Amino acid sequence: MYYWHWLKNIVRRPETTGFPTDPDGIAKTMSNSDAIQTRARPVEGFLRRSLAIRHIDGGSCNGCESELGLLSSPDYDLTRYGFSFTPSPKHADILVITGVITDAMVPVIADVFEQMTAPKRVVALGSCAIDGWVFRGAPGVRGGLEGIVPVATRIAGCPPTPGDILRGLLATVDGVDPLSGLREIWP
Amino acid sequence: MEWGNMVHTIPTAPTARDWINAWRVARSGDSDSILLTADGPILTTLLMNHKTGALTRLCWDMRDSNGGDAWQPSWSGIGETMVVEYRLARERPELSWQLPDHLHVRGKGLFTYPLGPVRADVAESLLYRLHVMGDEIIRLTLQNGFKERHIRSLVSGKTIQEALPVIARFTTTSNVHHTLAMVMAVEEAWGIQLSQQVQITRVLLAELERAYSHLGDLAMLAVSTGLPVPQMEYLHLKETVLRINFALFGHRYLRAAIVPGGVAARGWHQDVDPVGAAGMISDVLDQAERMQMGLERTSSFMDRLHGAGRVPPAAIQWGRPVGPVGRAAGLGLDVRRVRPYAAYSDFDLNTPMETDGDAYARFRIRVEELGESLRVVRRILGGWNPRELSPNQALEVLNGPPLQASGVGIVEAPRGLLGYWLRFDPKDGRIAHAAIATPSERNWAVVPDAMANGNILQDFPIIDASFALSVAGWDG
Ligand code: SF4
Repeated sequence: MYYWHWLKNIVRRPETTGFPTDPDGIAKTMSNSDAIQTRARPVEGFLRRSLAIRHIDGGSCNGCESELGLLSSPDYDLTRYGFSFTPSPKHADILVITGVITDAMVPVIADVFEQMTAPKRVVALGSCAIDGWVFRGAPGVRGGLEGIVPVATRIAGCPPTPGDILRGLLATVDGVDPLSGLREIWP
Repeated sequence: MEWGNMVHTIPTAPTARDWINAWRVARSGDSDSILLTADGPILTTLLMNHKTGALTRLCWDMRDSNGGDAWQPSWSGIGETMVVEYRLARERPELSWQLPDHLHVRGKGLFTYPLGPVRADVAESLLYRLHVMGDEIIRLTLQNGFKERHIRSLVSGKTIQEALPVIARFTTTSNVHHTLAMVMAVEEAWGIQLSQQVQITRVLLAELERAYSHLGDLAMLAVSTGLPVPQMEYLHLKETVLRINFALFGHRYLRAAIVPGGVAARGWHQDVDPVGAAGMISDVLDQAERMQMGLERTSSFMDRLHGAGRVPPAAIQWGRPVGPVGRAAGLGLDVRRVRPYAAYSDFDLNTPMETDGDAYARFRIRVEELGESLRVVRRILGGWNPRELSPNQALEVLNGPPLQASGVGIVEAPRGLLGYWLRFDPKDGRIAHAAIATPSERNWAVVPDAMANGNILQDFPIIDASFALSVAGWDG
């Protein structure tokens, strides 16, 4: 039954958005961050493309996971930029961390980062991972990755849209936000 | 809608034994447990009659406990509140309740396969310990608590306005239902009446959430059986519904669309096109039905699902799972029918039922519910005009004291029955105590029994995906 579908796909235009490297109206309106903040610098000859991503849930509400999971959908297709998810930290180049960072997850995060081989970079995904967001001050909640792992890029939003996550991943590699072409650093 | 008056309170039981016995009797009749909570020294159980929707409260004052007389619900065959029971065992030593003994599984040829808390590609933190003999799963133990955010204590002492953003982030893929249940409890306590337009809009929001949530779960199930084509199709449909959400309510996950006294949306100043959205929903419905037919004709899919992860009858009686997991195992409870909220009494919903309790039955329930949700959404959008919604006036009322001290909100979230019972400070209306029962924390209790039921290790991802439970809802 999928043969018919394949045939139809040949005539249909692709569902994949060009965002963020090509302007795409819908993905841009849904985006809720003006700029991606990154401290990453482009490293000539090291981090290029074909990058494996490992994700850790540090205490999320599963919204960020839902959006991260949609990166594999045909609408965003993260593989067109050479990204892929990996189950093994030892294969990973980029560590994406979601959630409020609970005390229970601190040793796990530190361990996974340790297991990754250099060069490696960390992305704080979602407002929770940046500063704890509405859960700041809850018992057992760290609210941020300070002092656990060095963060290269912050992707704000609750949850950040898949388009913004792609922007953040590209910024982590290239050191600039592909949409604005700017490099913004947090204090 | 005077739910407060419908709560029938049974006076505080003299001993723990009486309390448990009354609970067991009610539960073996027509009632289902909604929640268990400890508000100060009073342990409260809320039960709902699954024929009439009437609520019953059973209380026991734990100061009457005399040490050795422990009387733990799960020892008396009441398993659905086990997660709360363990939480209370830790937080209330005066109860002298016991935590589970970690049964050590030992033996020649037995291998323990730890999986987690970092696992799969994108997944929530949970540690599975699979005990296997050869290929067969002998036992599964789950360890949660890696992502506890202590939401129940975080919202205590907060005003309604402060608590709402936290509640909306309990489980984002069910946030409409969490907000709705909380808001229903608030509206009951303050005696706020709603217009029919608002009630219909709430049904629209709830069914949009069920639709994208089930689409995401079906995508996970498809990929667990190694079928990327349907996975991609389902993910694309999920993204389509999320974009419709954004176009209608200004947020992909419909966050903050339900507020006390009404509904709200960012972006309603822009042109909202309900008719265009209804057309897109029709397309999603067509494609979802086509996907279902294709999958049911794919033998590699069907072979893996049939008989996999069947919940044993004893576990069903003990743990009383809710939502699609319960309905796939012959428990027909659907809050939308038993105790209609919002405008559900105007919709004659078709609640699917299966009795096999295996992964295939859960798949069937999800696809049927998905179709039903999309049809309801399409029907509402056909005659829906957001401009007719009257401006929300409840927010001023909330600054005053509540009319009654507590409120109940029970809804059918995508994963099943979700109950809120909130007690408010009679002076300023702040939340004094929050009891929240999520479907995931309840359903996780039957997962180990379903897993260790003649399945092999290779079935694990399929069974796990067929339950589609959230860890955020368990760890709250
Ligand atoms: S940033 Fe928002 S969506 Fe992401 S984990 Fe936190 S509360 Fe959930």
